[in-house]
Amino acid sequence: MTATCETTRSLLPEWVRRELEASEAGLIDAHLATCDDCSAESQLVQVLFAGRAVPPSGLAHSVREHIASRTRRGRQQRPWWGLAAAAVAAVALGIGVVAQADPTAVVPIYATESGSADAWMSDDGEIAGAPALDDLSEDELAALLDELTPAVSGGSA
Amino acid sequence: MTSRGADDESPDAELVARVRAGDDRAFGVLVDRHHAGVYRLALSMVSDVGTAQDVTQDAFLKAYSAIATFRGDAAFRSWLFTIAANEARGQLRRQGRRKESSIDSVQPVASEAASPEEEAIRSQESARARTALQLLPEKQRLSVSLRIDEGLSFREIGEVIGSSEGAARVNYFHGIRRLRELMS
Repeated sequence: MTATCETTRSLLPEWVRRELEASEAGLIDAHLATCDDCSAESQLVQVLFAGRAVPPSGLAHSVREHIASRTRRGRQQRPWWGLAAAAVAAVALGIGVVAQADPTAVVPIYATESGSADAWMSDDGEIAGAPALDDLSEDELAALLDELTPAVSGGSA
Repeated sequence: MTSRGADDESPDAELVARVRAGDDRAFGVLVDRHHAGVYRLALSMVSDVGTAQDVTQDAFLKAYSAIATFRGDAAFRSWLFTIAANEARGQLRRQGRRKESSIDSVQPVASEAASPEEEAIRSQESARARTALQLLPEKQRLSVSLRIDEGLSFREIGEVIGSSEGAARVNYFHGIRRLRELMS
C-alpha cells in the first residue's frame, strides 16, 4: 500500500521536515520508491529545505533590543505633560481622544486581520507565466490545480 | 526586553495573552520562536541580508505595538508573517527596487552568518534551487518558501499573501512546476 501522487506531493514539506507519523511517512516512502515523478519532486523539496537561510546569530537579541530602545525612546520623547497638553488641545479643537494602552505605539494600518489583500497590489500578473488567481472561483482554482497535476505526476498511485 | 528562554513551550496564543496583560518577557519568547521564519520570509522578498534583518526588527516592533489589535482570528504566526511581508514590500518601495526577472541578475540566497563548514556542506543543488526560487513571481515564491521552509498550511499561506487557500495551493504547485523546469 502506498500513498497517491496527490497525497504525496501535498505532504512532501511535512515529509522532509520529519513531521509525519511513522506510518504516514512509510506510505510516502513506499510511493516515492515506485514513482519517478514524485521522487524527482521530493528531491527538489529536499534541496530547497536544505538550502534555507540561517538567520544571523544574535538576531533575536537585536530584535528585543530594537523594541526596547524604540519604546524607551518613544516614552522619553512624549512625557506625560506633552500628552496632557495634546489632550487639552484636542478637546479645544473638538477632537475625540481615544486612550491607548501604549501611547508610543505606532499601529500600522496593515497590522490588522482584515483588509490585508489591499496591501498586495502584486505585480505577479505582469510577469510572464504568472496567472492572476485571486479573482478565480474555487471551482476554477480546482480546475487549474488539475491541469498542474498531470504535468508533474503520472507515477503509480 | 528579555526572554524567558527557548524552553518556554507555551502556545503562541497563551504568550500573546500574557503580552497583552503586560508581560513583555512573553514577547521575547515569541521573538525567539519566530525570528528565523520572519527573517527567511523577509530575505526571500528583499534578497539582501542587511535589509532582511531591518525588516525582521521592524516587523516585530510593529507586531508588539499593534498586539492589542490582534483578535486571534488567525494564528499569531500568520499575522506576524503578514506584517513582515508588508514591511518587506514597504522597504522595496522605499528603495525603489524591483526584482529583475532575469536569471543573470539573481544571486544565490545565502546567509552571511553561516560558517564556512555550513557553507561547505550546502550542496550546489541547494544553491541552484534557491537561485531559481528567486525567479518566481512573488506569490509563487512566498507560497513555496512558506510551505517548505516554515511548514505553513495553505490556509495560513493564503492569509499571509492575501489570497484564498485554493489560490495559495495553486501558487505553490505552479511554483514547484516552474522550479522543476528551471532546474532541469
